[in-house]
Amino acid sequence: MKPSDFSIWSLDPTKGTVFYHVIFAIVIGFAIFFALMNAPTQVRRPLTWFLTLLSGGVFVVAAYWPKPINFDAKTQKPLNAIESGSVFLADTNNVVGSFTQILAAFMLGLGIFSLLRIHLGKIAKKKTDWGFSIVLLVSMVSMITFGYWDYTTRQANKLVDYDVQSNWKLENMGRDFLFDKLLQQMDAAMFSIIAFFILSAAYRAFRARSVEATILLGTALIVILSLMGIVSAYWDGAVTSLAGDSANKDLILNFKITEISNWLRNTFQTPAITGIRFGIGLGTLSMAIRIWLGLEKGGK
Amino acid sequence: MKTKGIPKFVIYLLLIIFTSVPLFFSIPVPGQPVDASADAFKALMNLKEGDEVLLASDWTGSTRGESMANMKSILRILMRKRAKVAIWSTADPQAPRVAQDVMAEVAKEHVEVDKQPAYKRWDDWIIAGYYPNADVAINAVAKDIRNAFSTRKETNPEGKLKSIFESPVMKNIKTVSDFDLIIDVTASKTSDFHVQFLSAQKVPLLFAVTGVMVPETQVFYNSGQCVGFLGGLKGVFDLEQMMENGLNIKGADGKVLTGNSKVTDEIPGFKGMSNKGSGTKYYPTLHFALLLMIVLIIIGNVEMFKAKKGAQK
Repeated sequence: MKPSDFSIWSLDPTKGTVFYHVIFAIVIGFAIFFALMNAPTQVRRPLTWFLTLLSGGVFVVAAYWPKPINFDAKTQKPLNAIESGSVFLADTNNVVGSFTQILAAFMLGLGIFSLLRIHLGKIAKKKTDWGFSIVLLVSMVSMITFGYWDYTTRQANKLVDYDVQSNWKLENMGRDFLFDKLLQQMDAAMFSIIAFFILSAAYRAFRARSVEATILLGTALIVILSLMGIVSAYWDGAVTSLAGDSANKDLILNFKITEISNWLRNTFQTPAITGIRFGIGLGTLSMAIRIWLGLEKGGK
Repeated sequence: MKTKGIPKFVIYLLLIIFTSVPLFFSIPVPGQPVDASADAFKALMNLKEGDEVLLASDWTGSTRGESMANMKSILRILMRKRAKVAIWSTADPQAPRVAQDVMAEVAKEHVEVDKQPAYKRWDDWIIAGYYPNADVAINAVAKDIRNAFSTRKETNPEGKLKSIFESPVMKNIKTVSDFDLIIDVTASKTSDFHVQFLSAQKVPLLFAVTGVMVPETQVFYNSGQCVGFLGGLKGVFDLEQMMENGLNIKGADGKVLTGNSKVTDEIPGFKGMSNKGSGTKYYPTLHFALLLMIVLIIIGNVEMFKAKKGAQK
């Protein structure tokens, strides 16, 4: 007998009983779905809250429940109720994790549906800039078509190496043109625009208006200079030769730009970021607890 | 104090000139690796033939200047070490396709340029695909990788679709701790989730992040939660230099070309192979862009002080 025999989440797929479990789960799922759809708001809200509590509870309990250590050597059964609970929770954790993957996949379908509804409506009514909607829909359909065509070709001819260009067919060329030659390039082009804004912002905003701003400016300049190999090589070289074999050698070597930059990073930057992240963590935790317990937006 | 200053289009034009002109010239730039890069190189070079590596590829075209360059350099080392690599993605649905394209390119170079034995899919590397919800997916892998990857399949040399756990790459993997190294090439928060869920699994973590992520990743490096990281273009440049010159290895003149004071081990590189790529090519460009930024900041401040003086008069 295996540990999976004690958990409803990991039934042996080769056994016929799993089929009845699946049917039962689908029926129950649809029943809950339709009941929720037809339920009045005052019933739906607490039900949604209860499901949130239940789903979140799995992860909370799994985190604090003792981990399974071993099984009875002869029977391979969990040694006691706590061990059984551990096995059950470990399996449940995986299944609940899979639920979120499935929900994310549903969101993709929902996104496509939403795009089609909005842009087809825009085209039908010839609203402002409806031409862009055509471009968007044509782009989406061609990417899906060539992407899926390319995928099915690759799946159907497993012995052909489609990473070699000489083996490409129309669908592979189409996918490569749309994905690598267009989408990826546009993606990179859009992101590179940030460089222009950063430079313009640095010129206009990085000014020594106050003591704090001057300190910030000075530290930023040191870090920027330390990133420049030419500067750091010559600066550090000059400091090293200045230190030579003098009595204050160790003190002087601290003035290497890489040393100053490391000191700034390790002494100021890292603790500051750690503090900020700690604060964010506490905020996230409190928000998670509020959502989990249904305290947000009067979920009860 | 509002000043007119340099018009935006002049700044933009200067940036275009400063970042494109250096690309047409080969400009040698000196530079020693930072501690985090040296540690990353050490972790990669410590891999032995057949070691299993889980490589998260969480980047797309938007950050390819840094991420693709990082990915290529890392893959070159992994291929030369004949490590077994499992690639997966959680940050973006485009990521697996992008990773596959890069892998194809580097694998081709490995055979045609470096004259090494072919690095084959299924035998040497597999792709476990994309998983939405990075935090949940990474947590699932940390808890039970066989369950998390249970539905993923790859084609074996006979052309049959088989579970990735039947491949030579994954056959020995029972838990995530069985990997010898976990790498995340990322442009997003996935590095946080790796630390959150995987740092307790006693597997060395290594990150290759974009330049803007360096400060936050430095926290994980300083605390020992990752063994090393490659930060932005400087990280790629460092890695390429160490691949070419080795680390702390003396040249013919007895001088160390690429050295680090924290990582004192002498680690030979791959002299004579295709080591230098985008990092070496783009690093001079980064210099010019940073130089332009410094000059503009200085001009901006001079303008401000002049305007202040004018107002006082």
